[in-house]
Amino acid sequence: MRPREASGFTLTLLIAGAVLWAFVSTEVDLARLFSSGPRIAEFLGRMWPPSPEIMSEILKGSAETLRIAILGTLGAVLISVPLGILASETMTPGFIHRPVRTVLALIRAIPLILVAMLMVGAVGLGPLPGIIAVAFHATGMLAKFYAEAIDGVARAPIDALESAGANPLLRLRYAIWPQMAPVVARDTIFRFELNLRESLVLGVVGAGGIGFYIQTYVRSFQYDKAASVTLAVILMVVVIEGFNVALRRRFS
Amino acid sequence: MTTAIDIADLTLHHPGAEGGSPALSGITLTVQPGESVALLGASGAGKTTLLALCDGRLRGWRGQVSVLDHPLSPDKPPALSARVDTGFIFQEFALVERSTVERNVLNGRLGRMPGLAAFFGHHSAADRAVAYKAMSEAGIADLAHRRVDSLSGGQRQRVAIARCLAQEPKLILADEPVSNLDPARADDILGLITGAARARGVTAIFSSHQPDLAMRYADRVIGLRDGKLQFDRTAAEVSPQDIARIYHEAGSDAPLPPQKPGLRVVT
Repeated sequence: MRPREASGFTLTLLIAGAVLWAFVSTEVDLARLFSSGPRIAEFLGRMWPPSPEIMSEILKGSAETLRIAILGTLGAVLISVPLGILASETMTPGFIHRPVRTVLALIRAIPLILVAMLMVGAVGLGPLPGIIAVAFHATGMLAKFYAEAIDGVARAPIDALESAGANPLLRLRYAIWPQMAPVVARDTIFRFELNLRESLVLGVVGAGGIGFYIQTYVRSFQYDKAASVTLAVILMVVVIEGFNVALRRRFS
Repeated sequence: MTTAIDIADLTLHHPGAEGGSPALSGITLTVQPGESVALLGASGAGKTTLLALCDGRLRGWRGQVSVLDHPLSPDKPPALSARVDTGFIFQEFALVERSTVERNVLNGRLGRMPGLAAFFGHHSAADRAVAYKAMSEAGIADLAHRRVDSLSGGQRQRVAIARCLAQEPKLILADEPVSNLDPARADDILGLITGAARARGVTAIFSSHQPDLAMRYADRVIGLRDGKLQFDRTAAEVSPQDIARIYHEAGSDAPLPPQKPGLRVVT
């Protein structure tokens, strides 16, 4: 066997071993899965019809989730502008942008729900820990995007305006900003959409928003109400996504 | 103005290539106000470098260079107020792709406007008149509100020329303005650049690797090869031997033989 084939064979063995280990140690019992079929059907049956009487809770929860996403995104934008500049290869030397990029990668590696749990511990229940968690978590991606927007600006038009006698402020206004603005707008809208989706579950850990009601109704066996909230969440995601697709097209 | 360009004993190495052969060496030449001059030579002959230097963009050279009677410094960039008078048409156009044609052409006016008005985009009626005259001259007035990224290569070239004319330069430098165009369009563009310069009584210098076009549109042709001046004559005086001297074998990519010092002509 050539070395390349040998390493391929070893990799296949490793993957097969990992899958087998997971199966054996979790004691997946297919018989149990099939026998619980009627129970799952009954569970889904109790979710129908969705309860219409909790409209006010749904509106309240959705509004709070929306507020968390908006303020969390705003916080992330405010932190990401300076961090994005520091993380840009064209704006700062390597000994600055490399560590900043590493920190941003570490931030991205921490799941939102974990940050939210820590924040609830730090500042208490309610939407505030949710907003802080979203702002922190989103900065990891947004600052990286902003740095890439800065680095993606073409040099030639800037030199051309300088050659025509335009001062640095005018070059920023007419050569750099027109290239950056649509990218920044598109990335921010994209991140807002992610923030909204991800903050739907924040209520589960007590960090505010509509997730609180899903958890409450499931725990108290009111599955029809849980179904209503779930439908509302799906509707909200679809509406926001449609809205964002339209917005992003404008910034292409 | 006594001279548009006055260069004496200019030598320049590209950054990082200080040990190798210079990009330009021993260049001495003078361009009179109002002349239209072609820089002729193969790729790598030093045409772009010489034009960028006259535009005040290069540092670290040796010799004396004076543009529109302002001496250039090899250590620091020229003042923006001096750069306004030199218009540059870039080979790759260097336009702001997402902005409109009108915005790109008005960008040529920025150096001539008061800073605050320029920043907020308050262009005076006079500024707009200059920009629109430049656009009609370049034949793109009907494209004014189109975005540059929706234009063809030939249209972009015209936007770049209009931006340069809107700048109202006393010296127009054009780097390979027709290298990407088919022959009919190349004639139009060179006619436009040299015609606009002559109508304004300003100096134009363009680089090209096509001898026929250079001789047709320039009053004077300067031949470069390997960063050295090979000839400098009126367009009518350029001989086939001159052309052979800068190209060795026209249309061939064969490596050039070592140059004989006796062939060097410095005027």
